[in-house]
Amino acid sequence: MVSAQCPQSRRAKEVRRYGLIYAGLTPFIVIAVFPVYWMAVTALKQESDLYRMDVIPFWFYLPPTLKHFKYLFEHTWYAAWIVNTMSVSALVAVLTLLTAIPAGYALARLRLPGAENLGIAIFMTYLVPPIILFLPLSRVVSELGLQDRWWALVLIYPTFTIPFCTWLLMGFFKTVPMEIEEAARVDGCGQLGALVRVVLPVSLPGMLTAVIFSFTLSMQDFLYALAFVSISDQKPVPVGVATELIRGDVFFWGSLMAGALLVGIPVAILYNFFLDRFITGITGAAVK
Amino acid sequence: MTATPGGGPPDTGARVAAVPIAGRVAGRAWWRAATARRLAFGYTLLAPAVLYVGLLVGAPFLFSLYLAVSDANVGDPVASFVGLENFRAAWESPTFHIAWQNSLIFTVVAFVLKGLLGTTLAFLLLQSFRGKKLVRGLVVIPFTLPIAISVLGWKWMYDSQFSLINWALRGVGLIGAYGTEGWPVWLGQPHLALFAVISVNVWRSFPFSAIVLLAGYTSIPPEVLDSAKVDGATFLQRFRHVVVPMILPILLVGLLFDTVFTLSDLSVVYLLTNGGPDNATQILPTLAYQIGIQAGALGRGAAISLFLFPLLLPAMILLLRNLRRREW
Repeated sequence: MVSAQCPQSRRAKEVRRYGLIYAGLTPFIVIAVFPVYWMAVTALKQESDLYRMDVIPFWFYLPPTLKHFKYLFEHTWYAAWIVNTMSVSALVAVLTLLTAIPAGYALARLRLPGAENLGIAIFMTYLVPPIILFLPLSRVVSELGLQDRWWALVLIYPTFTIPFCTWLLMGFFKTVPMEIEEAARVDGCGQLGALVRVVLPVSLPGMLTAVIFSFTLSMQDFLYALAFVSISDQKPVPVGVATELIRGDVFFWGSLMAGALLVGIPVAILYNFFLDRFITGITGAAVK
Repeated sequence: MTATPGGGPPDTGARVAAVPIAGRVAGRAWWRAATARRLAFGYTLLAPAVLYVGLLVGAPFLFSLYLAVSDANVGDPVASFVGLENFRAAWESPTFHIAWQNSLIFTVVAFVLKGLLGTTLAFLLLQSFRGKKLVRGLVVIPFTLPIAISVLGWKWMYDSQFSLINWALRGVGLIGAYGTEGWPVWLGQPHLALFAVISVNVWRSFPFSAIVLLAGYTSIPPEVLDSAKVDGATFLQRFRHVVVPMILPILLVGLLFDTVFTLSDLSVVYLLTNGGPDNATQILPTLAYQIGIQAGALGRGAAISLFLFPLLLPAMILLLRNLRRREW
């Protein structure tokens, strides 16, 4: 009897432990996910279904519709905003790779005097908030004639992607074993040759991470796009949705949510997969 | 060893010595040339990034200092030096005081709430249970969704008439009917509006606090905790003398990062209330934007945004000290 009771009580304890954990986690999951769920439901509801307070609003009273998505593409600049966002992100990624790869490599590998301080200085610039820089940068943008064109964002976004990605790639290059580079040098590669032919190919995951972050960090910006681009067809998605679908006191809630989620969800998923890299990137400073 | 004829030994000795010396000299020259090449190569590789960041972060930062002491505005390109006039004018305006105070309240209250929620969540995620990856993926959604996008969802939930929150509260009888005193207008009543914008910031960042804490905790080698246990340290002792000191650096970086973000983020307040009602939710970033871009007073706007700097500086110095301790 004793021997039969023991495992049973242990199992009961285990069940209780699980119960407590899930009970503790449920509110967090609900808080985190509910707003997104609500946005999705709103995006798919018919207009008259949106403004009913007499029925339970969490689900569809009238059949769901894609009308709001259609409205976005037919009556707003949404398609152009997507193209703008993609173009900006792609060009920013290219600029970032072109500058951050060599810089990260030099800081990690070439034993430059002062490399440590220089690395820290570059990373610190990532922490200078846009709100301090946007006024002087608005001058720079207008001097260059880029006012109200998405090209302005291509110029400005690397100010935060380069510091972050340099830091990230520097950490990455440190993990590439020195020996393979030395082997390449012995085989007659020059310094640049060794970098291009040997180090870069094994660093593809790091470079991919840098591209992802150029993309997601560009998507997180709101201030620069708001301050520098005010012509409808030049805006990137977040600013376009927030400024063009709210006209005075009139809100197009359905299409607002549709437009927000259509780009928000892919970015969130992508970022989700690379979140740990992001955390190591910024806290990497504190971990050996 | 055979004996050598008279003149032999020094001669051979000289020859034997001469080769390595020559070799050493040549080697040193070669070494020096190689070093010079390596340095030149290194600085060439660094140059584009350093120039970019220097020209578009460093120079603008200095330029914002200059703007702040000038009367520059959008219409008039020739600015003259006005000393600390912009700072004085800002300091004397009542709106600025509200913004400054709100920025502090915002940061401190959000910090405490994020700390509490983040620690609880981190503690739960430390346990082993099935479906952990999925749960983690779900709870970090607020942080991974671009902020300007999720704020729109919140704006809809805070709607003055069709607020879902009010529907739920009304359902359980906590608030009055629409149109009466008892119906909260989240973004229209001063205290509620401040609470509403802070909530969104907390919602956005608590997963970040949790994940940073987790990263810190998992960076502690289990052997360290085990050996402390073997040595007879109690749970509290282990926590105080092992866990806290080891997590602290990571925690600090995470907190500083979040503080910088919270203090300088414009999008939540701009999209939800634009500083209203009647400046009740005005914070320094929104005020700087309104004055610098919308009213075109670049100098005054720059001065206001620079008031953030003393708030950010301690965070940055702490971070810098932390980074320097890193082992390379």
